[in-house]
Amino acid sequence: MNLIEKIKETSEYINKRLSVTPRIGIILGSGLGPLADEVSNATIIKYDEIPNFPTSTVQGHKGQLVIGTLEGKNVIAMQGRFHYYEGYALEQVTFPVRVMKSLGVDTVIITNAAGGVNKDFVPGDLMVITDHINFTFNNPLIGANFDELGPRFPDMSHAYDESLINIAIESAKKLNLNIKQGVYMWNSGPTYETPAEVRMASFLGADAVGMSTVPEVITAVHGNMKVLGISCITNMAAGILDQPLDHSEVIETSERVKNDFISLIKEILKHM
Amino acid sequence: MNNLLNAINETCSYIREKVSFKPEIGLILGSGLGTLADEIKNPVVFDYKDIPNFPTSTVEGHEGKLVIGELEGKKVVAMQGRFHYYEGYSLQEVTFPVRVMKALGVEILLVTNACGALSKELYPGALMVIEDHINFIGDNPLIGKNYDELGPRFPDMSSAYDKELIKLAENVGKKLSIEIKKGVYAAISGPNYCSRAELRMLRKIGGDTVGMSTVPEVIVARHAGLRVLGISCVTDMAIADEMVSISHEEVVKVANETRPKFIRLVKGILNEVKL
Repeated sequence: MNLIEKIKETSEYINKRLSVTPRIGIILGSGLGPLADEVSNATIIKYDEIPNFPTSTVQGHKGQLVIGTLEGKNVIAMQGRFHYYEGYALEQVTFPVRVMKSLGVDTVIITNAAGGVNKDFVPGDLMVITDHINFTFNNPLIGANFDELGPRFPDMSHAYDESLINIAIESAKKLNLNIKQGVYMWNSGPTYETPAEVRMASFLGADAVGMSTVPEVITAVHGNMKVLGISCITNMAAGILDQPLDHSEVIETSERVKNDFISLIKEILKHM
Repeated sequence: MNNLLNAINETCSYIREKVSFKPEIGLILGSGLGTLADEIKNPVVFDYKDIPNFPTSTVEGHEGKLVIGELEGKKVVAMQGRFHYYEGYSLQEVTFPVRVMKALGVEILLVTNACGALSKELYPGALMVIEDHINFIGDNPLIGKNYDELGPRFPDMSSAYDKELIKLAENVGKKLSIEIKKGVYAAISGPNYCSRAELRMLRKIGGDTVGMSTVPEVIVARHAGLRVLGISCVTDMAIADEMVSISHEEVVKVANETRPKFIRLVKGILNEVKL
């Protein structure tokens, strides 16, 4: 079965269980899954029931699609995602984005937990992604191109939608949230960066580093979808602070960020 | 391709059955320059799909031909269309034709491409002689078993682009009143065009142009001891803070507009190059 046939089979399977067409896709990063609990009239489909979906190798991730209404919008949320470092091909990592598109989604909000590289950031900051650097030396679009899905050479010069960035900033202001903007660098992981690698990332123009998001963004842009990216700066990347990483602080921070994050996404949805 | 040496031999024998002379110069013709192969005299033409061990195209309607004959008094073997990493080929497959050229007797490789400009000194339609490159593909065609018959385990890349050929290109440019720029070509995998943050990064680390080809072929050519000349046609300004967008259509349009000048330069170089 080629990619087109797989997308068709999977979206038909999901469509049969839905009564509304989802318009906005939300990919929830580490610790941000609880947002999906707020979706009303939810249809929940576990990844392991969905044909052609990879089976998650990570424990503790819920691994399910939650489809329903949030702030009056028809959404499809991924609670748990697939990462390159788990050993998946990038075509598998980005397959859910293809399926979202096929179901009717035209805008995706892609989120992650990231390490802060920019010294103006503090743990707990939310960062709107303005641009990215693919530093994995792999690309989900390598291989034969399916013209039905998008062009051979997609433009990535404005991957993150300007008007959605503005909505995110305005929404944060309204909620009195301190929101930053910056460039997200995608590393394969699964090791965290060394201090030397973080210095390099900073030199090359990164404000935050993480192990996800970019393949999904590339695929979404290839599929002509609008993209909003938001990072939760859960800790500062290696070597940025003099003090060693304090784990209890990280946990406390993620708890706090989680609530800010949920209110921010809900506010953004209201204005979309 | 179980054994690279056997594959090269087999492909070479197949070509030699139909070609009675030894080509001296290999040409890899990038986007927009393919028509130069139509000017080759007494051509023997092979479709890639008929050549044993050549990669099979992942792209439907992809035209690929090997044209062997005479151009400007030199015996040439020209690739009309090349294989790209982003198409899903391994770099061994991408560079296999260079191995075959070497085995056929080629001594000089002239490799061309279309690229984006990272440097503001360049302009759409500029021709840039490649002085050096940055391999930012994240892969290398020489990874794997080394065949000492083909070249050394650790080839020197400190002067991959032949200084005399660069000088020759500049002199020919002067004679023909074609402005010749010089610079560093950064190769990325693609297939998406770079983000602005990636363009800033590539500029910062020393790239003057960015493209999705050439470097794997040059690495293999140098491994094989060929002299290399690389020429880029700038098709778009990939300046992070100024660009609005980039499309393949625009790239093709500028490449086609620049073609006459590019062809004059390449023919001038072929005419004057000493083997």
